[in-house]
Amino acid sequence: MRIDTSLRTPLTKNIRAGTSGAVPLDDYRKNGGYRGLQKALTMPPRDISKLVQDAGLRGRGGAGFNTGLKWSFVPSQEDYSGQRYLVCNADEMEPGAFKDRYLLERDPHLLLEGMAIAARAIGATRAYIFLRGEYPLAAERLRSAIAEAESASLLGPGVFGGKFSLQVHLHRSAGNYICGEETALLNALEGKRAIPRAKPPFPQVSGLWGCPTVVNNVETLCNLPHLLMLGAEWYRSLGRGKNAGSKLFGVSGRVKTPGLWELPMGTPIREIVEQCGGGMQPGYQLRGLLPGGGSTDFLGPQHLDLAMDYDVIGKAGSRMGTGTILVLDDKTCPVGLVLNLQRFFARESCGWCTPCRDGLPWVVDILERIEQGHGKKQDLDLLQELAHRMGPGKTFCALAPGAAEPLESSLNLFLADYVAHIEQGSCPYAQNTAPLMETI
Amino acid sequence: MATITIDHRPYEVDDGQNLLSACLSLKINLPYFCWHPAMGSVGACRQCAVVHFKSAEDTRGRLVMACMTPVNHGDLYSINAPEAQVFRAGIIENLMTNHPHDCPVCEEGGECHLQDMTLMTAHTQRRFEGLKRTHKNQYLGPFINHEMNRCITCYRCVRFYQDYAGGTDLHAFGRNHQIYFGRQENGQLKNGFSGNLTEVCPTGVFTDKTFSRRFVRKWDLQTAPSVCEHCGVGCNTAPGARDDGKGDPRKLRRVVNLYHRDINGYFLCDRGRFGYEYTNSPQRLYQPLSATSEPLICTTANGEEKIQQPLAPGDAIACFADLVDEALHNKRRLIGVGSPRTSLENNFALQTLVGRENFYAGVSAREMALLKLSDQILQDPQLYSPTTPEIEQADAVVILGEDISNSAPRIALAVRQAARQVQRQRADALHIPQWQDASVRELESGSTPIFIASVEQTDLDDIATDVLHTAPQAIVEFTKQLTAQLHVASTPEDKPGTLEKVAAALRAAKNPLIVCGTGLLSQPLLAAAAQLAQTVACQHSSKRCALYLAFPDTNSVGLVQVSSATRNLDSLSQLLDNSDIPTTLIALETDFYRQMHTSAADKLLADVQLIHLDLLHNATARRADLVFPAAATPESEGTLINSAGLAQRHYCVYEGSGYIQESWRWLANVAAACAARAGGVEKIPQLGEIARWEHVTQLSDALAHAYPPLAPLAELGPEWNALLDGERVARQPHRYSGRTALYAETAVAEQPPPRDSDAPMNFSMEGIPFAGRDPLQTHNWAPGWNSNQAVHKFLTQVTGEIQGGSSGLYLQREPETFETFETFETFDHTASPGEAQAESDTFVPVPLQRLFGSGELSNAAEAIASVLREPVAQFHIDDAQRLQLNSGDYVRFRGFAGKFQVTVGDAAAPGCIGFITGYTSPLPTGTLPAGDIERVTSNTPGGSG
Repeated sequence: MRIDTSLRTPLTKNIRAGTSGAVPLDDYRKNGGYRGLQKALTMPPRDISKLVQDAGLRGRGGAGFNTGLKWSFVPSQEDYSGQRYLVCNADEMEPGAFKDRYLLERDPHLLLEGMAIAARAIGATRAYIFLRGEYPLAAERLRSAIAEAESASLLGPGVFGGKFSLQVHLHRSAGNYICGEETALLNALEGKRAIPRAKPPFPQVSGLWGCPTVVNNVETLCNLPHLLMLGAEWYRSLGRGKNAGSKLFGVSGRVKTPGLWELPMGTPIREIVEQCGGGMQPGYQLRGLLPGGGSTDFLGPQHLDLAMDYDVIGKAGSRMGTGTILVLDDKTCPVGLVLNLQRFFARESCGWCTPCRDGLPWVVDILERIEQGHGKKQDLDLLQELAHRMGPGKTFCALAPGAAEPLESSLNLFLADYVAHIEQGSCPYAQNTAPLMETI
Repeated sequence: MATITIDHRPYEVDDGQNLLSACLSLKINLPYFCWHPAMGSVGACRQCAVVHFKSAEDTRGRLVMACMTPVNHGDLYSINAPEAQVFRAGIIENLMTNHPHDCPVCEEGGECHLQDMTLMTAHTQRRFEGLKRTHKNQYLGPFINHEMNRCITCYRCVRFYQDYAGGTDLHAFGRNHQIYFGRQENGQLKNGFSGNLTEVCPTGVFTDKTFSRRFVRKWDLQTAPSVCEHCGVGCNTAPGARDDGKGDPRKLRRVVNLYHRDINGYFLCDRGRFGYEYTNSPQRLYQPLSATSEPLICTTANGEEKIQQPLAPGDAIACFADLVDEALHNKRRLIGVGSPRTSLENNFALQTLVGRENFYAGVSAREMALLKLSDQILQDPQLYSPTTPEIEQADAVVILGEDISNSAPRIALAVRQAARQVQRQRADALHIPQWQDASVRELESGSTPIFIASVEQTDLDDIATDVLHTAPQAIVEFTKQLTAQLHVASTPEDKPGTLEKVAAALRAAKNPLIVCGTGLLSQPLLAAAAQLAQTVACQHSSKRCALYLAFPDTNSVGLVQVSSATRNLDSLSQLLDNSDIPTTLIALETDFYRQMHTSAADKLLADVQLIHLDLLHNATARRADLVFPAAATPESEGTLINSAGLAQRHYCVYEGSGYIQESWRWLANVAAACAARAGGVEKIPQLGEIARWEHVTQLSDALAHAYPPLAPLAELGPEWNALLDGERVARQPHRYSGRTALYAETAVAEQPPPRDSDAPMNFSMEGIPFAGRDPLQTHNWAPGWNSNQAVHKFLTQVTGEIQGGSSGLYLQREPETFETFETFETFDHTASPGEAQAESDTFVPVPLQRLFGSGELSNAAEAIASVLREPVAQFHIDDAQRLQLNSGDYVRFRGFAGKFQVTVGDAAAPGCIGFITGYTSPLPTGTLPAGDIERVTSNTPGGSG
């Protein structure tokens, strides 16, 4: 069958409302599945990279780097003839993010096809899916999808009976936020301590077991099958403004209908929160939001009309990150929210560099005291200083700078709340004990 | 070279290196923790932050980590920029959140890198109000203390232990601020370089447990440059001593590394670090002993130990002089036995006293032949003994028979670094700087070809590309075949065998290295290794090949230079057997019972008067008629020549307790007594100038004139009365405490310090701490740098030479190329264990080396002695099955004393029985028939050992 170029939701088009299982291989293929791979196999690998680069596909893990460009740093066959690897980063542990989980559980073949295309492009014959340990259902479904695809010669030796082979291995993480950092992920995959590696060298040059390796996010890879079939122009047309493609956006917090939607890249925050998420629950006001998960800066109500776009959100002083929005309402203590996040980051610090390892527990200690009403005025300066000490370039990887983002921005946006804790000697929100997810 | 600007001042630096290393080389202070000169950068601690400016117009700049920043021409940096200073103080503040303020009870205090860096960053106020994280400590064995609460998580311990030294039982556990560096369970650290953790750790997590027992602060330790006496490598050490003022004779407190670029660099092995305790052993001799209180008349019966009594030094000297007098009047014969574990000067003094024709080397004929052959091999100008940095750069290594991890451990550590040479080449190709340690280690590359042939599993097997565990004779055969293979024109083969692979690797190598030694006691092996190295040299563009030959003792090479091949313990036995001339044997630091079988030693000593000068009351001392307490290496000055042929001077760190003095001084005292009786030195020209010797440098000069290869000795080290920058060098640091209080119980007036008549050094605080133009470095200490990390202040550059040049001068062997080494005259080959061939139902005894166990002196060190196992006999698993022996059984061998615990291994050489060298006596000779093996007990349940 032909696929309609009017398709606007390529990532979720196979997933039927009212179902909860994974899309079976037969259905997947009936809907045009594995045609993108078939097409890729007819193209020289370099052309695949070029196509993806031209399409403007940017990494959906949060950094937004051009995917085709990332691939292009892998040494050519002439320069390097040894093993190469493709690694799918499915270690979705960003607080507030659940987008990859949806794709993994509901349409695993979309990911597998995307991986095969990426592997073909970079010349990899082995691929790993590094899956978050707490995703057992995704693991089960991926495992059977891999088996299905192998028995149908869509993966494994001789894909479509041709020369291209791809062995896909599923690796379940032992559970560590830092493994989402691609070089720490590679160390973990090698059985080493999950600590990030120094860059350069970048993984494309020296990655898994010292071989050229590309690490791509689940959602990024899921964009590839349709991109291959329908082309760069179609792909670019999916986004709004300068943006290319569609994106899974999520909203959590006290909105009426928290959830996940596939929308054009560049959709304004207001549309996502108010139209998709249904706006705030009765009796609650929006005070702020974390646009891209727990490690992004707070934005305020004044930012609701900004487009969810890497550059626009970046200019506003935050990051689009994973595109899963955390909404803060007026009855929840912002200090408590930040404390909750900092506890997570402090626990998940890999322990490699000093500002992160020893800075985050200190932040937690101070926030705990403030939240319990034992804070001091000078604590706020100290928090600023500690956040600054964890800034970009000062730490080994992006974990601590990410942790510093909600902290530093909350000190600007919600300074009055901090001061109130200190002056009052207790948490002003203490009586608001309603559970966050009461309506769900 | 690149010109960079730091805080508006231009500096010339080598480009491509990292900024931290460049700053330290320039002697600019910049704090750091995770970086180590030998281990490179990993960017973990973030302590060395500086500001980097993009251009002269850039006023804000960007914070960068100096250790991770390659310097390029034109770079602009600021160390003093407020942002950088605040950040660096902040890092210390972070580290200090969990660090206990236990400096007063911490043994690192006073030489703690963390203290130094804290002061350097000027972090003073504690703002963290929370609870500190705490850990439980582990028992890590008798050498190392563990105090994890002090840890600042710099990762240097695991990077050294795992990455650098190949250890597998120290890990980083856990994550976040709870990271724990330790073992999976309590137990002794297994790696033979574990002691370096005490120096690698920037604070007091890992400290020296042997030092703990009698701890004093670094500033209360008296030090001098010394040379390790526990193997032939010749590592430089800085022993630290202190007299407690209360008469405890155990003055030596610890040994730490003393940097020497070409030998030990920054690291020592555990035998070298912890072996010092022999100087404090209960067996230590402090005063002369006499077999009777009467003047010596006769010897006692065969094999009997004598009842000995202390003797005043003057009386002992008089007794000795009586015997020398008799010899001078031809009534007795004087024979001297020299030693490979003491200085050339001591040996030379004895040789001069008894005459060259009566000077016998205190080693067996077998060992002497091996030493002479090794020495002869190294005369070949095509072959050279490589320095440690050269070994680390080797790109093909062939180790033949010698278990260097146990016989020359520091060399094994260097070979371990060579294993990464291919990886380093790949890093160069990818433009990744070598100092980017973690990145280089991640690189996928083949391994450096390292081939190991040995009689058992070795600690380097994990880095070997091929190993061969077999009998000594088979190693010889393999070596010969390898040489032959090198002569075959190279033809690429589909499936090359080990031989072809090793030959191809040697042919392709830029820096090939052959390693062998005397450990297997096999002359054919040494000869074959030399021929292999010659062949490699012929085919190499430089016409040279590196050949490291491990000699067994600290001065084996020196002893060989002054000894005749035909005068050794075996020929001495023959001589004494065949003559009735009354003989006085003067044994210099030689334990006959270690060099010979008990029965042979008994026989040799049966009819002689024995005068023994030694450190410990060993089996020989117990049989002696007269015993003199000799100064140990750190208690004396002298010259030792290491396996690489480097003559090095060790200086006296402290004066030995009691009546201890250098052996040569005892001999000079005796000669002076004789001269006094004779009415003047000129009346007894036979004794030469001995009676006039007052300074050790006089002996060195005499040696330089007497033996052409030793000519450099005349230039080695300063004269005793020299002045360095107008002063002598102080052994005691500027903060040495208690000099007036220490002896207050016995004397009110301050005691004058002993006078050093051998070196321009004081046993006091007076003088300069370090003389820039001579490597008379007494300790690593610089303003603001109280820990051993201060060493960079004394180097031309990080990992470079010490300012004023590396100490030591190479032996000048006469160049001579040998056509073949097989004609070397020697004794009966078949009697040598390494040369015998197993026939049906017989076994070849092979010597095994052990870091702890094979060192004569270190075995008497308290901590090392506590981990010594019983003597073992190691069998290949097939042989053990055939003989129905199990691990843990005990066996005896007919005609050979002692019982041995059986160990069984599949990596042991088949047809061989391994015995650990140096436990007590030499190996059984010849082959051992199966019928001579007798099981004593079995370890079946209920049985007892």
